Amino acid sequence: MLAYASGRLVQTVLVLVIISFIGFLLVSNLGDPLASLLTADSTAADRAAMIKALHLDEPITTRFLSFFGGLLQGDFGISYRSHEPVAKLIAERLPATVELALASLFITLLVAVPAGVHCGVHPRSALAKAIMFGSIAGVTLPNFVVGIALIGIFSVKLGWLPSFGRGQVVDLGFWRTGLLTASGLKAIILPAIALSTFQVALVIRLIRTQLMEVGLSDHVRFARARGLTDNRIWYVYALRNTLLPVVTMLGLQLGNIIAFSVVTENVFAWPGLGSLFLQSIQAADMPVISIYLILIGAMFMVINLFVELSYPLIDPRVLRRKA
Amino acid sequence: MSAALLEVRDLRVELKRGKQQLTALDGISFAIAPGEVLGVVGESGAGKSLTGAAIIDLLVPPLKRTGGEIVLSGRHLDALSREDMRKVRGRRIGFIAQDPMTSLNPVLTIGQQLVDTIVTHLPVSKEEARQRAVRWIARVGLSDPARRLDQYPHQLSGGMRQRVVIALALCAEPELVIADEPTTALDVSVQAHVLQVLRDLHEETGVAVMLITHDLGVIAKMADRVAVLYAGRVAEIGPTSEVLRTPRHPYTSGLMRATVAPGLDRKALDPIPGSMPNLSSIPPGCAFNPRCARATAECRSQRPPLVDYRDGAGKHACFHPLEDGR
Amino acid sequence: MSAVPSPATPARPSAVLRLFEAAKGAPGPTLAAIVGILLAAFAFIVPLFAPDPFNLASTSVMDAFTPPMWMADGSKVFPLGTDDQGRNMLTALAFGLRTSLIVGLASVAIGLLVGGALGLTAGFAGGWVDSLIMRVADVQLAYPALLLAMIIDGAARSALGQQRDVKTAIAIVIISIGVAFWVQYARTIRSSVLVERDQDYVAAARVTGRSALGIVVLHILPNVMAPVLVIATINLGVAIITEATLSFLGIGIPLTQPSLGTLIRNGNNFLQSGEWWIAVWPCALLIAFVVSVNVLGDHLRDVFNPRLRGRS
Repeated sequence: MLAYASGRLVQTVLVLVIISFIGFLLVSNLGDPLASLLTADSTAADRAAMIKALHLDEPITTRFLSFFGGLLQGDFGISYRSHEPVAKLIAERLPATVELALASLFITLLVAVPAGVHCGVHPRSALAKAIMFGSIAGVTLPNFVVGIALIGIFSVKLGWLPSFGRGQVVDLGFWRTGLLTASGLKAIILPAIALSTFQVALVIRLIRTQLMEVGLSDHVRFARARGLTDNRIWYVYALRNTLLPVVTMLGLQLGNIIAFSVVTENVFAWPGLGSLFLQSIQAADMPVISIYLILIGAMFMVINLFVELSYPLIDPRVLRRKA
Repeated sequence: MSAALLEVRDLRVELKRGKQQLTALDGISFAIAPGEVLGVVGESGAGKSLTGAAIIDLLVPPLKRTGGEIVLSGRHLDALSREDMRKVRGRRIGFIAQDPMTSLNPVLTIGQQLVDTIVTHLPVSKEEARQRAVRWIARVGLSDPARRLDQYPHQLSGGMRQRVVIALALCAEPELVIADEPTTALDVSVQAHVLQVLRDLHEETGVAVMLITHDLGVIAKMADRVAVLYAGRVAEIGPTSEVLRTPRHPYTSGLMRATVAPGLDRKALDPIPGSMPNLSSIPPGCAFNPRCARATAECRSQRPPLVDYRDGAGKHACFHPLEDGR
Repeated sequence: MSAVPSPATPARPSAVLRLFEAAKGAPGPTLAAIVGILLAAFAFIVPLFAPDPFNLASTSVMDAFTPPMWMADGSKVFPLGTDDQGRNMLTALAFGLRTSLIVGLASVAIGLLVGGALGLTAGFAGGWVDSLIMRVADVQLAYPALLLAMIIDGAARSALGQQRDVKTAIAIVIISIGVAFWVQYARTIRSSVLVERDQDYVAAARVTGRSALGIVVLHILPNVMAPVLVIATINLGVAIITEATLSFLGIGIPLTQPSLGTLIRNGNNFLQSGEWWIAVWPCALLIAFVVSVNVLGDHLRDVFNPRLRGRS
């Protein structure tokens, strides 16, 4: 197990270095940092100082090493657009995105698990058919259309919920949260629903297929023969057996979920990382774009590493197979 | 017979295949007395396992019970609601599943599965249930029972798992246990041990057993009485020694000539010609008539009823029963 | 797969009948195919006759915000209403869908070309070339089409500067979407090559001095046709959604050029003030087209290869 884990770890680190290198190439070859960072009235001395500060006079390998070393120490470079450190920009935007992601994950679990179990247990019921129809819509409808529809119905037509921003936020010093005020909570509902539609649809379909399979298994039949209640059989005995593929699939869909967070944040003017990324693309702000690219890669790799390392906790048989 | 623990009368199970309505069990009747071991024997496809599943309402669609009565201690199981039937399963009638490799939940510990079953049916605390679980693991003959509780099924061998399955079937103290081919999936070397465990527990707890098997050797060793099934019908039923020594139905006799087993005193295999009909081609009259040397026109047109012989000690469904097993 | 008649033989009299039989067996996919074809015809035929609503000379701001014709103040001249510039929504939709379709088809073609070339290379070269290509494919899976397209678009902006003409913008969108698709084609084609590469007839071709590559391509073509067609159909849906999303976000096709995405982006500005039709029509058209493409893709997948189910 240890050998397996360390092998995966080395692989992950290697991939991360490669992604960082691609990010570095993007920053160093595209756009002109001097033109972007220097003001019109700067002198030749300013220029020379800037070249020195950005290490533009050094060979590419040295520059990559210092770029990569900077990454490890949290030095992400300087934004061309706002002339602020990228790390600071990201730190400001991170809480909004994390809260949105957690809220949508919460909705996903709250809605998708019972709905998926119902569809898996009673695949022929009218409700299951309705849910499956809705889930097709959830996977095919473009994310921004879902957002627009939610705004159209709940903000414009009914006037129940705000359509943009985070509402009132509370500064905890290290974290600015919108989850402690009424307006903040109201503001997160629509974007969280919009972001969760895809995941909800995906998880429902996964749980349904898996449960329909597990439902026919000998151990579920034997559990029924022992007179266990339906709830216990489906939610504990059967659902536990479907967790592995569901968690794996969610890990692999992380990229999609991040992409959809960019769209959702834009539709709802949510001041998170996705909005920052989009503004950076529009302004060709390469340092921010490449750092975002590297962070997504890192997050994808690390989360999927955790998913894989958690297999033995979910399914005790995995350990034995690997050993 | 009024003292019977379980009485099954005229049980019918059917299934729809396309537009065809097929009969899988065609009027099965038998009874099990308290503390008795009834062997149910027959070729695969004869309906042995279906009978077991039908009794505890565990038929998989499209199979469906379409008639008959199932009475447990005077209570009609066939009229129970889903929820009441659930309470009967495990608590009143235990079930020993066929394949120990797939019948235990792979992601839950042995202890979780035992404790769950106990607290579902008996008014005991989780702690008490845990202690009972340890005792049950010891009773089915596993070493180091406290440690076993926290093990997962994949950490046990096939024979050990089948002992766990037996513990699971008995842990809510049922009066009857249906054992569906309990040793078929096991290595020959462990079959005897598992049967011994079942036998010991039967004697200790007095639980009645419906032992479903295709193995006449197992029947000879374990069963007080035996029911022989053919094509979804009872061919013969009676005390084990009687049926095995002097079979009345030609099918029983053929089945025995086709078996080599210790205690059955057979020297050579003599298979029955032909094979059992499948559900869509059961012949009119006696289902066995195309394979039977004694068949007459009567056998081909009329279905023989199940009739008593020797003052009701046994019954057979044959117009031309054998005398003295010949 | 043998159901595809070879072009040399004249159509058998039963062809229409067989098509009808197939349609009866699968009413959903048939309906999807009909809707898809009708919409595509709408997109390519209407612009041949109607004036371009994005040509300012053909519109009048006086007509702006006309509601659909069945509403009060509606006009029969503009059945689906007009937008803020007085553009006829009906023709704007046709022009928009045409752009979206061209972008979608072109990016699928690019993915197919790039993926086909890389898949052939990986399968034939083997060794480290193969490993390199396939590892890059693995890493790229972390970045879905939408995200990758965004990053490529940003990179292109940096490289080309902000002043780009419409044609360059469209080309960038096509390339950035198309590049995201290469992995699936490369994997499919590579595995086919691996199967065929070591067959006797390839060795024979080598001995007789003929090109082994040519021979293998000829042989794998019929094998990969079906899966490639399935992947391409499903990708067409993804491509159209991706284009619409990019354009909606303002990083795809510029607002001066109609596409489903730019139409929705424009319409979104007026949702709050009640002119719902400007956003709703392009949304509905997008959904109708994408759903019919997806239904068709799923059906093709089940028909050609049940094992492909659950992938992509």
